[in-house]
Amino acid sequence: MKRTVLALLSAASIAVTGLAVTGMAARAQDKYPSKPVKIIVPYAPGGATDIVARVIGEHMRQDLGQSFVVENKPGAFGIIAIEEMARAKPDGYTVMIGNVSTNAITPVLFPKKFKIDYEKDVVPVTRLVDIPEFMVATTKDFPPTNVKDLVDFAKKNPGKVRYGSVGVGSYPHYDAALFAKRAGDLDMIAIHNKAGASGVINDLVSGDTQFSFLNVASTAPMVKAGNLRAMALVNHTRLPEYPDVATMQELGFPGVGTIAWQALFAPAGTPPEVLDTLFKAAVKAMQAPAVQEAFKKQNFNIVPNTSIADAKTWLADEMATWRKITNEVKIELSE
Amino acid sequence: MELLSNLALGFSVALTPWNMLFAFIGAMVGTLIGVLPGIGPIATIAMLLPLTFHLEPTAGLIMLAGIFYGAQYGGSTSAILINLPGETSSVVTTIDGHQMALQGRAGAALAAAALASFFAGCVSTALIATFAPPLARLGQSFGSPEYFSLMVLGLIAAVVLAHGSVIKAVAMIVLGLLLGLVGTDGNTGGQRFTFGLNDLADGLDVATLAIGLFGISEIMANLAQRESSRDVVAKKITRLWPTADDFRRGWPAVLRGTGLGAVLGVLPGGGATLSSFAAYALEKRVSNRPEMFGRGAIEGVAAPEAANNAGAQSSFIPMLTLGIPGNPVMALMIGALMIHGIQPGPQIMTERPQMFWGMVASMWVGNLMLVIINLPLIGFWVQLLKVPYRFLYLAILLFCGIGVYTVSNSPAAVVIAAVFGLLGFVFQRLNCEPAPLILGFVLGPLMEENLRRALRVSGGDPMIFLNRPISLGLLITAAILLLIVALPAIRSTREQAFQE
Repeated sequence: MKRTVLALLSAASIAVTGLAVTGMAARAQDKYPSKPVKIIVPYAPGGATDIVARVIGEHMRQDLGQSFVVENKPGAFGIIAIEEMARAKPDGYTVMIGNVSTNAITPVLFPKKFKIDYEKDVVPVTRLVDIPEFMVATTKDFPPTNVKDLVDFAKKNPGKVRYGSVGVGSYPHYDAALFAKRAGDLDMIAIHNKAGASGVINDLVSGDTQFSFLNVASTAPMVKAGNLRAMALVNHTRLPEYPDVATMQELGFPGVGTIAWQALFAPAGTPPEVLDTLFKAAVKAMQAPAVQEAFKKQNFNIVPNTSIADAKTWLADEMATWRKITNEVKIELSE
Repeated sequence: MELLSNLALGFSVALTPWNMLFAFIGAMVGTLIGVLPGIGPIATIAMLLPLTFHLEPTAGLIMLAGIFYGAQYGGSTSAILINLPGETSSVVTTIDGHQMALQGRAGAALAAAALASFFAGCVSTALIATFAPPLARLGQSFGSPEYFSLMVLGLIAAVVLAHGSVIKAVAMIVLGLLLGLVGTDGNTGGQRFTFGLNDLADGLDVATLAIGLFGISEIMANLAQRESSRDVVAKKITRLWPTADDFRRGWPAVLRGTGLGAVLGVLPGGGATLSSFAAYALEKRVSNRPEMFGRGAIEGVAAPEAANNAGAQSSFIPMLTLGIPGNPVMALMIGALMIHGIQPGPQIMTERPQMFWGMVASMWVGNLMLVIINLPLIGFWVQLLKVPYRFLYLAILLFCGIGVYTVSNSPAAVVIAAVFGLLGFVFQRLNCEPAPLILGFVLGPLMEENLRRALRVSGGDPMIFLNRPISLGLLITAAILLLIVALPAIRSTREQAFQE
């Protein structure tokens, strides 16, 4: 009840600030931000990237006193959103929160589909969070209970084990394909489901597929319910909630699996002092206790970069890693 | 007994003044955005999501749920009055609802829609309370072969939707299937019919299509008429309340629609939309006056309205009990819960009984509020028809444009809607119904995806569709339906079913 009162009060205060700001707009031109900032998200509302953007945006508003409005621009593997951001006036009022798929894999796989030069026209401000991933297997008619058994089973049954992915060239697809290659060129079948993680989980539970690499937040309820089995974890360390689930690294598969990140991006021409304001506000937003608590409950790791220069090095490394992976595992893609 | 104590707990949560206030806000906002074409619950809930950060999760969830089912109520209003479905799930309501409005029975149609929705909402809430776990398991036993067979059944049943030429209905379904192919191919990543345009890479959006085919083409058709004949709707309004005969005919239709909606809503992928189409087809099949369908049959309004509301409500089951969102709105609900660190899933009923049962009970409260909000508004909506069309159409067109744009914040979508508006106008001149096209468009991609997935699972063996009992049962039902339509010996019944 108390929180509701707070909510109404804060809603009212937003309205009042809004009025005040319109009045002062002329005077406040020199100081960034003096008007609402648009955060473009390359997905429809509701997914992890959208939620992270809304949570971070809300706390950046509290810090900088201007609204951070999320605008969803889904489509074309993130290209529509990235191009819109890159072509916007580089004044810090149009930024983007993207993830490993849209802002690293898409530019590596489909450079020709861009009408901009991704590496020249887009700069990272900071990485925000990264999300651990489980290698989950179905418990329906599938004997293997650990990664070693799964490898043996797949060797004895070539072409019989099916893994789930959210689309051709998506990171769950590369994760499983890289795993198959490193485990000794296992012959397994990819089953794609356009409906995202929820679709892949459905396929696992109904027995259409046997295993998949999927983020912990989406799979945890089904793991707890016993419909899925967490065979391995893709993360920096083991998770306290799942002390028995070993990391892929420990199991002898270093570099297999994706710790999917989300990061804040801006057009390349944005003035350094504006980028600096954004960087500091984003880092501060992630230190807010409410944000820390909400992200921790979902097992999101809060992983800001130390500086904008650090963010640039990190993104370059990340793209180099994906170039390597996409060279090691050849997935046929139609341009 | 346990059910009663659970519900008592739920009502103790739902009936607190704060939670009732948020149920009311949700229902009210939902009704409004439902009435406005194209501005759907997805965009609205997304915009209100940050507000729920500061709310207690139960209150936030109650409000968001209210918006969702409130939109199902509101969506039928514009469908009936101006032949423009406010939501995809009210597409079928346009067929008979708008005919009723043209006959001066707009009030009766609106009342039937509101009462049918209310009844369905109450019953399906009770169903959620009683059968949530087993219904969730039913959803889980649906693998790709079962889905494919369900889609086959749905498409064959859709032929019955048509009034007028069967050939034209089949042609429209096939056209819908073809439009559903546009976009990125799921198995190869190849681009189909996108002409190299990034805006088409994810395919066409059903809301964009529906607004073009129904809304914009209707405006064009109206403007093509002479002004005197155009305002005919406003002059003939007789009464606002359904007749005794309407109640007698509508009642069983509501019951069947509710049952169908509650079951289909559990399945992922447009349960509410599919159930409204299926309910209409079923009513036409069992009716003793099928010739009235398409000419203002009250059953044709009551059944799909009951079905879409029941479907909307039962789509909460897989979201709450499995953590699997069946549609984009449910994905947003999961997002709202995630913000509070709540993980929907099988444990939610035991770990957070107050939230779970509080929300279930709030649906009852919200539905009651909706009927109280909506019945007095009928008089007001009908008055709206008296606004001269030359003013009204501008407002409608504006809202269509805003609605289409907000689907994915894309200017290209507005252009696409305009193109389909033109196409819809041509269809109207050719006496081709757009409703079967929408159904083909919704079901086609699901059917293709599940067909290919099932065949990949079976290693190319088509027997997989016959070896699985649920799939086999669905295919047999589809075959029987096909026989009824195709057999010359019973051609006379078919003629009757399709007679205009």
